[in-house]
Amino acid sequence: MLSFFYTFAARIRGFLRKGELESDFDQELAAHLRMAEEDGLRRGLTVEEARRAARVQLGGITQLRESWREAWGLPWLDGFALDVKLGLRMLRRSWGLTLAGGLAMTIVITIAAVVFVFLDEFMGRTSPPLDEGERVVALQSWDAQAHRRREMSRRDLERWGATLQSVQDLGGFQTVECRLKVESRPAEWVRVAEITASGFRLARVQPLLGRWIADADERLAAPPVVVIGYDVWQSRFASDPAVIGQTVRLGEILHTVVGVMPERFAFPVNHRYWTPLRSDPSGSLKPAPQGAVFARLAPGVSLDGAQAELTTIGLLPPATRPPSGDARRPRVVPYTFAFTDDVERGELAWQQRIILLLVSLLLVPPCLNIAILIYARTVTRQEEFAARFALGASRSRIVVQLCVEVLVLSSAAGAMALVLTRPILTQIGEIIRRFPELGGSLPFWVDFDFSWRAALFVAGLTVVAALIAGLAPALQATGRVLPTALRSLGSRTGIPLGATWTALLVAQVALALAALPSTIELAWGHLRPAVLGPGFAAREFLTARLAVDPQSVPAAEANLTAFASRLRSLQAEVIRQIQAEAGTSAVTFAASFPGAEPLMFVEMDEGVAGGRPVRRYVRTNQVDRAFFTVFDVPALAGRTFDGRDFGSAATAIVDQTFVRQVVGGDNAIGRRVRPVPAPGSEAGPWYEIVGIVPDRPANTSQGRMYVPAMTGARRPASPIQLALRAGPDPAAMSRRLQDIVTNLHPTLRLDDVRRLDEVLGETQISSNLTSYALVIVTLSVLILSAAGLYALMSFTVTLRRREIGIRTALGAPPWRLLASIFARALWQIAAGVVVGVTAALVLHRWLNIEVEGGWHIPGILPAAAIFILTIGLLSAAGPARRAVRVDPTEALRNG
Amino acid sequence: MPDSESSILQGTLDLMVLKTLEHLGPLHGYGIALRIEQVGERALIVNQGTVYLCLVRLVQKKWIKAEWGVSDNNRKAKFYALTKAGRKQLQAETANWERIAGVMGRLLHPRTGS
Repeated sequence: MLSFFYTFAARIRGFLRKGELESDFDQELAAHLRMAEEDGLRRGLTVEEARRAARVQLGGITQLRESWREAWGLPWLDGFALDVKLGLRMLRRSWGLTLAGGLAMTIVITIAAVVFVFLDEFMGRTSPPLDEGERVVALQSWDAQAHRRREMSRRDLERWGATLQSVQDLGGFQTVECRLKVESRPAEWVRVAEITASGFRLARVQPLLGRWIADADERLAAPPVVVIGYDVWQSRFASDPAVIGQTVRLGEILHTVVGVMPERFAFPVNHRYWTPLRSDPSGSLKPAPQGAVFARLAPGVSLDGAQAELTTIGLLPPATRPPSGDARRPRVVPYTFAFTDDVERGELAWQQRIILLLVSLLLVPPCLNIAILIYARTVTRQEEFAARFALGASRSRIVVQLCVEVLVLSSAAGAMALVLTRPILTQIGEIIRRFPELGGSLPFWVDFDFSWRAALFVAGLTVVAALIAGLAPALQATGRVLPTALRSLGSRTGIPLGATWTALLVAQVALALAALPSTIELAWGHLRPAVLGPGFAAREFLTARLAVDPQSVPAAEANLTAFASRLRSLQAEVIRQIQAEAGTSAVTFAASFPGAEPLMFVEMDEGVAGGRPVRRYVRTNQVDRAFFTVFDVPALAGRTFDGRDFGSAATAIVDQTFVRQVVGGDNAIGRRVRPVPAPGSEAGPWYEIVGIVPDRPANTSQGRMYVPAMTGARRPASPIQLALRAGPDPAAMSRRLQDIVTNLHPTLRLDDVRRLDEVLGETQISSNLTSYALVIVTLSVLILSAAGLYALMSFTVTLRRREIGIRTALGAPPWRLLASIFARALWQIAAGVVVGVTAALVLHRWLNIEVEGGWHIPGILPAAAIFILTIGLLSAAGPARRAVRVDPTEALRNG
Repeated sequence: MPDSESSILQGTLDLMVLKTLEHLGPLHGYGIALRIEQVGERALIVNQGTVYLCLVRLVQKKWIKAEWGVSDNNRKAKFYALTKAGRKQLQAETANWERIAGVMGRLLHPRTGS
């Protein structure tokens, strides 16, 4: 066994020091020959005889060198290097295939890599970057029946802390939002982790200044303290080394700063402020991601061991027993897993695998396209393969060579994908960071850096791509070509084109045509807002989210109405004060700003045709009276909202796209519309359409329905979106807005104050990425199809060169020649177009393009069919021209 | 090719080279080839080049080591010498060979009555 490894290591050394060893061996052979010649001379031979005898005794030197090279190096690697070299040459020669195929593969591999990294980071496979992070766990109350994480009672937390032997540093946290005031700086809302002292012991990260939260701080009577993060220390305290002992106001309570944690420390999730979790046996901890119970596995204890002990100890019964019985059970999971969705551990891995499999399947269409082209190329290279076959290369050797050639292409695509993935992930990170529940930063264990696992995944995809695109044509071509080609080496007649080839070409044309209309409509739908703009001066508007401190919302249902009424008057006062500001010409509020309204499934009271209710996805928004005035939206028919609509009457205003899509272009005034109720739930009220307005923003594909805001108080704590004309200095206005809100009431908060065009631009990023990917994929499919048709025609002309020569010599007119050459290509293109049109119709019906964000373009299908036909004919034109210019004498002489 | 002249059995050459180096000490490739021819008394056909392929194998397995030196005729030559692992291997191979030779001997010349 040992000698096997020695030999392998020596072979690698030999491969790396090939030149040095070969020169050494040459010297050794030269010394051998000299000694043998001297012996010959001593035996009485002449110089010439001695030299000859020495060489005969040694044997064939070239063969010996060859065998020696094989014995010292890695012959398969040499063969591989040669194949790579050939592959690179073929890539240069077939640049069209390289460009189109490489591009298509790059896009798909990039998408798959992005999805992989995303899943890897967010679905809890990674352990947190803490000391022995893989041993940090979360303990949960898991409701197996409802399939949900439940809140944890503090009694359970304390009981587990006192009894569990299989874990250490057990503790908990929950996130609360507090209004922070530091000296003279304006107040702001921050996310604070109320955490047990054990959290710091578990994280094992020493404070930069001061101390951690101590066990004594958790007592109810203990003075309030706060530990702050490095960023906070830098930005709010100007890196003041004397920060310890200073006070900050969190909510209404003054807290003393007792410690500063080092840079990047954000345990338990993405926190920068930590206060003690006060002892409160009657309380509970919110389920993840807002709260969790954490611990570290004791030395030598496995996750299963901890689970066994936890199961034995169990959960205390709930204060009020649910009628269906208590389905909760305690479970121990890896720490980061606790913050993924409500799933069982095994399920997550399966979900991940299925998503990755589906994404990887995207590789199949471009690879099949490339396979067709590779096959066309292998058929035209029949003589090269036949010659190699005749010289002793096996079929498998040629198949490997062809696969390696494609591997070179897919590896280039993989390398490009690696380069592209990082900036895309950064963009995605930026988008996710803005999710309100993340509060501006990602969990501390999420790092969108490209891991070795992702690199391995990309490497795997490049190999799979090479196998899909290379193996089938290589086997097909060598299986059919070699024997025929061997026979044809002398005669120079070609091999026939098989049914597989025809089927593939028809499929290719069909695929291109089937996908073309939908992809163009989707891409245009996503790009339209960016290209044409929102249709109003979005940069003149500021938007902001006006929210209320969730802790101030009364828990009791009875107090909710009074609270909602108070909130409404506060919101009205905010608007009044903003309006009173100089430079603000108009202010309005809505549930969402224009362009970010949620989708809702609605139905009309009666059908346009056949009496069946028309149901459709539209965007809905709750707006106030001033909304249409502020955004300069006049009523095209009917009216906009006035005082009547904010009482009990259920009225709605719809835009022109809504009328076109849902009402079918008829008069919509007076018609009724309502949200489609979820199965099993009661239908909502009908809204009477009282006005029709132009589209705002102008360039999205979905219709919009506006209903009056504040018609009910079901969710008073939901934030509302303010929009105002900001005047000449939006930055100053933004600061003023913060002041107005903060001074009005401490429970009110204003977030995300930004210009509307910036907000719209950000929402556009993912749409732009989608459209670019769609456009590039469509282009590469088209180029691949054109290249396939060109290859077919070229090949047909080459094969029939002799026949064309004879017919030209016999006086056949050029049109007849052209017709006979074109007939096959035309037949294939036409068959492809017929199948493609059918598939496109099915796809269009199945895909609800407008719901997916596409834009319906009338006449797109016939235009696409004509386009594909033209591309097909243009691809065939070049080879056809060559055919009619065939010189009969030359064709007859050379075949 | 006359039947009496036999090609060397696969693997036997390794044993021959190892034994030669044990017997004669460090030796160059030409010397090893001559010694095998001499011992074989023309009963074995050894292409001298083959010895070098065998030497490569043995060096790779670390059973022998090679270094440049000067021959008796004052010529620069590469000398091969047995290593500790090679010596151990030689003992094992010798024992194995003797066992097979014994079995073959008994098979080809059975004693009557046994």
